[in-house]
Amino acid sequence: MSSKPKVLIVDDEERFRTTLRKLLLVKGIDAASVGSAREAFDELDTGSYDVILLDVKMPEMDGIEALAEMKRRFPHLEVIMLTGHASVDVAVEIMRLGGFEYLLKPCPIEELTDKVEAAFERKKNRESRARKKESTQEETAS
Amino acid sequence: MRKESGPAGTCPDIDFTPYPIEEPGQSRLRLFQALITLLPAALAIPLFLCAGPIYALLALSVAAVSFMVAGYYIGRIARANEQKCKLDLQLIQSQKLAAIGELSSGIAHEINNPLAIIGQEVEWMKHLMKEGGCGSNTPVGGMSEFNESLIEIGRQVDRCREITHKLLDFARKKEPLIQAVDMNRLIEDMAKLVEKEARQRNVLIERNYQADLPLVRTDPPLLRQVVLNLLNNANWAIEDRGVITISTMRAGKNAVEFMVSDTGCGIPPENLDKIFDPFFTTKPPGKGTGLGLSICHGIISKLGGSISVDSEVGKGTTFTVHLPAETTKGKN
Repeated sequence: MSSKPKVLIVDDEERFRTTLRKLLLVKGIDAASVGSAREAFDELDTGSYDVILLDVKMPEMDGIEALAEMKRRFPHLEVIMLTGHASVDVAVEIMRLGGFEYLLKPCPIEELTDKVEAAFERKKNRESRARKKESTQEETAS
Repeated sequence: MRKESGPAGTCPDIDFTPYPIEEPGQSRLRLFQALITLLPAALAIPLFLCAGPIYALLALSVAAVSFMVAGYYIGRIARANEQKCKLDLQLIQSQKLAAIGELSSGIAHEINNPLAIIGQEVEWMKHLMKEGGCGSNTPVGGMSEFNESLIEIGRQVDRCREITHKLLDFARKKEPLIQAVDMNRLIEDMAKLVEKEARQRNVLIERNYQADLPLVRTDPPLLRQVVLNLLNNANWAIEDRGVITISTMRAGKNAVEFMVSDTGCGIPPENLDKIFDPFFTTKPPGKGTGLGLSICHGIISKLGGSISVDSEVGKGTTFTVHLPAETTKGKN
């Protein structure tokens, strides 16, 4: 596994996602971007990602719906939600659905990259725990 | 699918008129108390004469107990009523706070998105300058990418300005300046404004103006704003090739109506209830503030009329505006 996360930005604001992608690349984080939840699922079906930056308010399928679907289809992914307005109900729903973090726009790039690194760290820890558990089970079986 | 909104269908302005604590029902209770007290008391005299003082005393005791018991229950009813009034006031207050909360979250979302873009562009410009070298006045990659970021910042500032200005227009308590207006003419002026852009997108504007319409007593600039907004929305709803139809007609003796129909994408039934809500928009980010129809609704209500919408997905949308008219006929 690479030491840097592979990030997918999902946001309907074109300029937001393209500049954020460039800023993440500068910080050494490989990132791709798409403009809707549907495009994100197409991308996730073919590509390999570690962390998703997902906008809450989007047309067609909103971020909350997309988060639920992502966690169902790709449970190994860590999802950080981005939104223009804070609401306790939305925050609770995100945590309930298994979102990693909830960030309010505008969010400083340092804070965002810290969260992405933290989400990636959690993903790696979880995967290594799963691998250990698997090998222990194999040893016990043999 | 139809959604109506106007003076009859809208939420009235909430004021804090205190409820009367002594309601009409209370006087009936007092009458009941008097009756159940006076009846046994009135029996005391005949009982005294016929059956002796003990029975008369008994009747008076019954009257006294009835008076006290009825008084006790009337007091409880009054207190319960008072409590209900307080709860009603609290409910109104919470509804007001909920409305403010909803509006604030809408504003926050609309402003925070452009702010996020501005913040990122600034970060990107800092990066370009840093990469250009310490002491250098030229960003890495030359000025073109730097300028692009500057232009984007300007664009996002305009977006924020549009939101705050529309919000101020929305909140401004400007009393309408009422004049007698020829509605067909007013609408035609606005149609001509939109027609040029519509033609470029292969959108045709058809007119069905009823002749001899009565004059409308209204505020012309405000009504123009509504017509323009509805025409722009209709134009927006048609992707490419389509028809916008403007119709005017009498609506009974003292009213006129105008309709703006389009053959555009239509509004899904689940959105119909929200289209007059502030900040509700289906346009892509930065293309609409979601305040246009909300402002139209406010203006039409202020002018004493109503606005309604009919829509079918894939077929189109019709907005109907109903306005009070003068009884005298206008020239056309």
